[in-house]
Amino acid sequence: MDRTERILDLVALLLDAREPTSWAELREHFPSDYGGSDDAAERKFERDKAELVELGFPLTYVQGDDERRDGYIVDRDAYYLPEADLSKEELAVLYAAGSAALASGAFPGRDDLAHALRKIGFFAGESLPTPRVRMELGAVQEGQEKEVSARLELLWDACATHKWVQLVYASPKHPSVTERRVDPYGLALRRGVWTLVGHCHLRGGLRAFQVHRIRELKVNTAKPRTADFEVPADFSLDAHVAYFPWQHRIHAVEEVVLRLSGALASRAAGLFPGAVLEAAEGGVVRARLPVTYLDGLIRFCLSLGADCRVESPEGARSRLHDMATRIVEKHAPEVGDKVSA
Amino acid sequence: MSNVHERLRRLLFLVPYVSKHPGVTVEALARALNVSREDLLEELDLLTCVGRPPFNPDDYIDIYVDNDRVYVDLDQRLFAPPRLTAGEAAALAASAELLRPATGDALRSALQKLEGIIPPAALERFRGMYRKIDASAEAPEALGPLTRAILERREVMFDYASPGRPSEPRRVRPYELLSHRGQWYLQGFCHTRQDARLFRLDRMEALAVTDTAFEPPPNARADVPNPARSRTEASVRVRFSPIAAPYVKERFGRDARPLSDGGVEVLVAGDSERWLTQWVLSFGGEAEVVEPQAARAAVARAARASLG
Repeated sequence: MDRTERILDLVALLLDAREPTSWAELREHFPSDYGGSDDAAERKFERDKAELVELGFPLTYVQGDDERRDGYIVDRDAYYLPEADLSKEELAVLYAAGSAALASGAFPGRDDLAHALRKIGFFAGESLPTPRVRMELGAVQEGQEKEVSARLELLWDACATHKWVQLVYASPKHPSVTERRVDPYGLALRRGVWTLVGHCHLRGGLRAFQVHRIRELKVNTAKPRTADFEVPADFSLDAHVAYFPWQHRIHAVEEVVLRLSGALASRAAGLFPGAVLEAAEGGVVRARLPVTYLDGLIRFCLSLGADCRVESPEGARSRLHDMATRIVEKHAPEVGDKVSA
Repeated sequence: MSNVHERLRRLLFLVPYVSKHPGVTVEALARALNVSREDLLEELDLLTCVGRPPFNPDDYIDIYVDNDRVYVDLDQRLFAPPRLTAGEAAALAASAELLRPATGDALRSALQKLEGIIPPAALERFRGMYRKIDASAEAPEALGPLTRAILERREVMFDYASPGRPSEPRRVRPYELLSHRGQWYLQGFCHTRQDARLFRLDRMEALAVTDTAFEPPPNARADVPNPARSRTEASVRVRFSPIAAPYVKERFGRDARPLSDGGVEVLVAGDSERWLTQWVLSFGGEAEVVEPQAARAAVARAARASLG
């Protein structure tokens, strides 16, 4: 019998059973599947059972007593999806975000997400909201979405089952690719880019890997139901992935004070989330922020233009001065250029 | 996940779905399950073989297609789908984070209710997996009301500050929200400008949803200008040092021409001087506009202003 068919038969049998179903009965009901040697049959049933558990089928084995016999039972109440009584707003939030993530192409656990949306929509009737929200996630280069999406799916499974992955990684900091084994702890999305954080066996510590830079990826297939590692209880994704260029953990934290004027003053909170803002004379806003990667901040300040100045510390001021001077020098009129009228 | 697993999940949803929507068309059912018509008909064939011992005629699932509509007479207790698995709930909860904090209270209460429909035994695993995706995108507050306005097809009003101009009121038909490289945009028809426009959410102020209804065009789709794909005849040649080259190659792929010193050179759109200048400056001296002269001069001017 086809495995899908056999497992569905088991579901139908166990959902209907009023008494525990013993192993002997199962063998009797499915002679061509669970026949053969005891060992082979048991192994086959163990695999089927694992699949049922994976599907969320609440199967347990009960030891018999005076009242009932040994066997497998299913807790029906724990099987059937109950109505979640989601309000219109709650359903809209889950639906908007879920469908936007699916439409975006690269979101880990896409299959899981699609099933989840179907299930929460089961009791909602026909009128499910499908707002037009679209996100371009994961791909840095055009046409990369499919590859990133496939990698995310593998990483999601590996994270869920705690299996190590073997990856070939192309870091822009190194001329050649590196091959390493990583225990995947989690996935974070920052400004449209997905990052894998995990314990890197090559470097012997926690490392972050941008998913679009992974060239090859293999998940350990040995003992699929045994965890290869445990994620430390105090692990937090946020502590290892930066939102903004100045948050990369490269140097010790230093406080930088910026002076924002003109149109930038009213946008200060949006430009530097988390910064302490203070209004100064003439509509100017002062922003104090902790920085662990100064060059990242200075480059961002330069791109904002002359309305963004560095006030302190001196090291940050001179860094901006150096970078701006270099840009001016690089763009100096070339000898022999015509002077425009 | 294996094909068997995917198929089982689909089938355990299919039977209850038809049970709840008797007479659903084959096409609508295929769409609900995201499978092709052919694959769906194959699944229905398989289901007619599913039943429970002793496998008498009444012990089988009785599901059939009549006049292109699907019915189930005997569902063999598959009248509701299974609860959400830990993985399904975690993926859903993590995706909801994408719209945080705009989604506020509704998200918090939705997640609480979600925990109530996961099998109790899977709760701990759900919480563990939920922690494994961090997709909070720092969505702006405006996302909530704008999502609602798009859904309810109502015009919005806001003050908008275009770069280099003072803020002015706009009245807009909102069509689509788009997140691109961590930045949120609204695409819509601007009454003030009488044209389609793309607005950055972080430049909106005093947003209000009006009672004026509108009918959106069928294919309104926002596209954010991308220098790598919107090259015009007015292209600008930009050269990058060997330090910046790997990052540029990553974004431009084969369009980044290697130079003998280890750097690269690319052609980008030159129609927005403001964008180009900002972009070149963001490389902090590792990028140089080669030509045209006007663009070189604009970058030099902006850098000198920062020195001032």
